[in-house]
Amino acid sequence: MRLLNSRIIRFLVGIWLPIVLIWWWWTWSADSVDPFFPPLSAIWEQFKFNWIWQYVPIHVVPSLRNLFVGYFIGIFAGITLGALLGASPRVSRYFEPVIDFLRSIPPVATVPVFILFFGLDAQMRIVAVAVAACFPTLLSTMQGFRATDPTLLDTGKVFRLTPFQMMWKVRVPNASPIIWSGLQVSLQIAFVVTIASEILGSGFGIGAFTTISIDSFMILDAWTGVVLLGLLGFALNVIFDLVERWSLRWYIGQKKLAS
Amino acid sequence: MATAISVNGVSMEYKTPKGTTHVLDDVSYEVQDGHFVSIVGPSGVGKTTLLRLLTGLALPTAGEIQVRGKKISSSPDDLAVVLQDYTRSLMPWLSVEKNIALPLKNQKLSKAERKERITASLAEVGLEGAESKYPWQLSGGMQQRVSIARALAVRPSILVMDEPFASVDAQTRFDLEDLVLKVRDDFGITTLMVTHDIDEAVYLSDEIVVLHGKPAKVRDVVKVDIPFPRSQMETRNDQRFAELRTHVYGMVRGLE
Repeated sequence: MRLLNSRIIRFLVGIWLPIVLIWWWWTWSADSVDPFFPPLSAIWEQFKFNWIWQYVPIHVVPSLRNLFVGYFIGIFAGITLGALLGASPRVSRYFEPVIDFLRSIPPVATVPVFILFFGLDAQMRIVAVAVAACFPTLLSTMQGFRATDPTLLDTGKVFRLTPFQMMWKVRVPNASPIIWSGLQVSLQIAFVVTIASEILGSGFGIGAFTTISIDSFMILDAWTGVVLLGLLGFALNVIFDLVERWSLRWYIGQKKLAS
Repeated sequence: MATAISVNGVSMEYKTPKGTTHVLDDVSYEVQDGHFVSIVGPSGVGKTTLLRLLTGLALPTAGEIQVRGKKISSSPDDLAVVLQDYTRSLMPWLSVEKNIALPLKNQKLSKAERKERITASLAEVGLEGAESKYPWQLSGGMQQRVSIARALAVRPSILVMDEPFASVDAQTRFDLEDLVLKVRDDFGITTLMVTHDIDEAVYLSDEIVVLHGKPAKVRDVVKVDIPFPRSQMETRNDQRFAELRTHVYGMVRGLE
């Protein structure tokens, strides 16, 4: 019962400010005649018209597909490379300067380069997302692997675990609290790059829709695109948090017990 | 009686930036099948190094170690290990059951057999029904019981323990010592224990190997001629117990 109460309270604490802000935006914009700041009520009407569900197949589906395909390729590469480099400090020292250089380039700025290589189709967007998503996960995996407790590795050895088991049953789970923080940053960057990549030379995707709307003075449509992006980004984070907390329940439980 | 482990002229040197550290020098002894042997010595003498060699985690710079007549070059099949630091040797992301199951995955067992081994091992250490708990939800003593259960589940003929009771409170320590004796009785398992606790060594062992010196050599092998079964109350008050511990203590401190 107390648990339930505290959950309700936490929910109320979290929700009151968004409600106030939406209400404030709604009333403040209600009588607006400025074409660039239409009333929220009008945006809402247009939002329903556009996104439930008319444009979902041609704009939302391609965006999410590029995002997820790119993200999963990126984090798979990041974990694999990070594990290989993190397991051997000597090898990682050779690669670190290059990795540091590459990850310092703002990911959005790399999109034009990928256009040179891959043209303007979905393949380019997926590669750009994958590359951008790779680095935070790569770095956090390297860091997590370096912190492996030698006792744990000894335990694995004396019980004659195979290299595969050592990797996926010992080292990766052991590093997973750190890896997850990299995965979250990767997701955020992947989202940004997905949308940014659509701004250049695409007719499909939420980013493309929003840009084209602005360029053709469809201001109301542009606003619905922005609102949709906000909602999507928020939803992705919430889902990510749930998956992470489920996966790290051992870690969270342990921490809670220790405090 | 057959020989379970034989250590033949083992020396160990570590190369460090400051030069070579000579830890063990020409260490030799034999462990008979079914015996309980403790290795004692002053702290820093090289007990842990010797344990790493026995479990195949490191290879000696000279000499060799044989397990049942075969020279070891990596962790031998027939041997299971209980380490001192259970918090770092049990995987916190796996339940008790999965911790025990992990080393069993490479043995050719059916799912039912594996399940049976886990249940039996937990019963042996008095942790029936703890399968789905995480290690960190258990007390220190219980976690060390899980470590012992994990070792027993692989059905080893040799059990090697590194200061297994050093991180638990005194009461739990007595319980775990008696548990280890029971396990030895139930399975006839050959047990080798590294410890700095001389009372514990005398209480548990058939034989005590005393290491001393820098580099360490075998100072003496003491036969503990106190009959089994032993009990915490009586054995520790035994005249012979007092003599032996004084004798071993004197050697460890370099007084004899």
